[in-house]
Amino acid sequence: MRQSYKIAILFLIVMGVFPLFSNSAWLAVGTTFLIYSVVAFSQDIILGRAGAFQMGQAVFFGLGAYTTAILNVQFGVPIIYTFIPAIIIPLILAIILAGPVIHLRGDYLLIATIGFNIIFIQVVQNNVFELTGGPNGIFGIDVVKIFGIEFMSQTAVYYMSFILLALTLWIMRNLDASKFGRAMFYINKDDIAAQSMGINVRYYKLYAFALGSAIAGAAGSMFAIQYSAVSPEAFNVVQSIMFFTIVLVGGSASLPGVLIGTFVMFVLPEIFREFATARYLVFGLAMILTMILRPRGIWPVKFGNIPNYLKKDKK
Amino acid sequence: MSDFLLEIKNLSKLFHGLVAIDELNMKVKKGQIYGIIGPNGAGKTTLFNCITGLYTPEKGDIIWEGKKINGTAPYKIAELGILRTFQTIRLFSQMSVAENIMSGRHIKSNQRWYNGIIHTPSMQKDEKTNWLKVGELMEFFELSDYATTPAGDLSYGLQRRIEMARALAAEPKLLILDEPAAGLNENETIKLAQTIRDIRAKGVTILMIEHDMDMVMSLCEYITVINFGAKISEGEPAFVQDDPVVIEAYIGSDEDE
Repeated sequence: MRQSYKIAILFLIVMGVFPLFSNSAWLAVGTTFLIYSVVAFSQDIILGRAGAFQMGQAVFFGLGAYTTAILNVQFGVPIIYTFIPAIIIPLILAIILAGPVIHLRGDYLLIATIGFNIIFIQVVQNNVFELTGGPNGIFGIDVVKIFGIEFMSQTAVYYMSFILLALTLWIMRNLDASKFGRAMFYINKDDIAAQSMGINVRYYKLYAFALGSAIAGAAGSMFAIQYSAVSPEAFNVVQSIMFFTIVLVGGSASLPGVLIGTFVMFVLPEIFREFATARYLVFGLAMILTMILRPRGIWPVKFGNIPNYLKKDKK
Repeated sequence: MSDFLLEIKNLSKLFHGLVAIDELNMKVKKGQIYGIIGPNGAGKTTLFNCITGLYTPEKGDIIWEGKKINGTAPYKIAELGILRTFQTIRLFSQMSVAENIMSGRHIKSNQRWYNGIIHTPSMQKDEKTNWLKVGELMEFFELSDYATTPAGDLSYGLQRRIEMARALAAEPKLLILDEPAAGLNENETIKLAQTIRDIRAKGVTILMIEHDMDMVMSLCEYITVINFGAKISEGEPAFVQDDPVVIEAYIGSDEDE
């Protein structure tokens, strides 16, 4: 088995027992860490793997959250039935939105996706369809109820988020060992060569956007459940910048890298909470130092993920 | 249709009004090793870029197995069975040798859209078949020892072999080689010539640009000579070699080969 999978499993074990040793405040941080890790992986599919400079991942995270909130609060749909729409709606919107801009390169795509994020925030803040609750957002989201059992405790929400992250890691593993995951890397590393090998660049970039947005939507739904509320500022451009940065600081396309990135960018500032706003120094310094010292991330991806029967190397 | 695999008819390509290819005609037979020679800047690589869909020609036709293919997207050209290597090597340099060659199996893989998320037994079988094919190609090109080495860390000669292995992995009907001997030493060049013959023996037609005259003359069965984008001569090596027009083009320009 690949080393990074072993690390991922070790990580899951640590996170699995974490609630036994933590108080309520840390359990909340832990839950958000799990959810943000899922969003970071969704960003990694688009940015780290397919190499598309998506700076609006908070849009799809937010779409998932708002789908759950609106369906539940405005239409009384039980939470459990909002999961699927919270995945499908971001997925469909990602294809519609990314379609016309997917051919843009690097910085051009970056600007276009920031544009999406700004429009999204405008729409939800202005309560355009009388659904989003304006600048205050939506409150009073139900708890998850399955067969009449309510999963309302903090620990229950933690473990639901845990399952979501485990599922995401499983999908990442499957993606890596498929023609789809590889095609994303080929496009990322040299799109001319990839096309000449018969790879439809547009298709695989859209595939990355669709898959990444669906996963972000699932994370959004969980986020809405955790806080039993949604509001626009949780999904603004600054949040998108954070997810983008997590991937680059941690290590594009590297499973341990993305987890470390989420830890450094989200959990560390929480640890230094007593230093008030100065804690964001950690955030800023981590960004600067990583880019100077480790331009490929704290834990860079290692290629060479090939079946053992082909490994005839010296090692 | 005809017994020609690839036909180029009155092909012209302009860059900002400058003529890069000028009313070019040529016909490649199935099973041939076809050479294109000409001084630097004659438009040879531009021609390859037109055939492989990276450029769209302004005029003329590219006919593949009797069908017009100009303007077709590069990835569709590859699906038709036209694969290429690049003059300036274009490998996925951070990725391992095996992964690079695996990219050639992309069009041969029959995985469905959901297999990127969920694996199925048939998908795993497909995956294994393709990796085994990569293994065979690594054997053929003597690359097995470098299976997990990043392609970018290897020597020029090895990188050229990886590019050929990658193109062959797609089981092409036509293999287009853009200066395959550039940067190789004498031994490597001799070996390359044998490799090209071996590839042809597998039924692959070969179209190549090459500056190494000894290699071109000994290897190719038919040659087209291009200068300033236009064909100045064509024929079998013996004929082209003694064609005064060709000699003049090479001596008239500053000859660097």
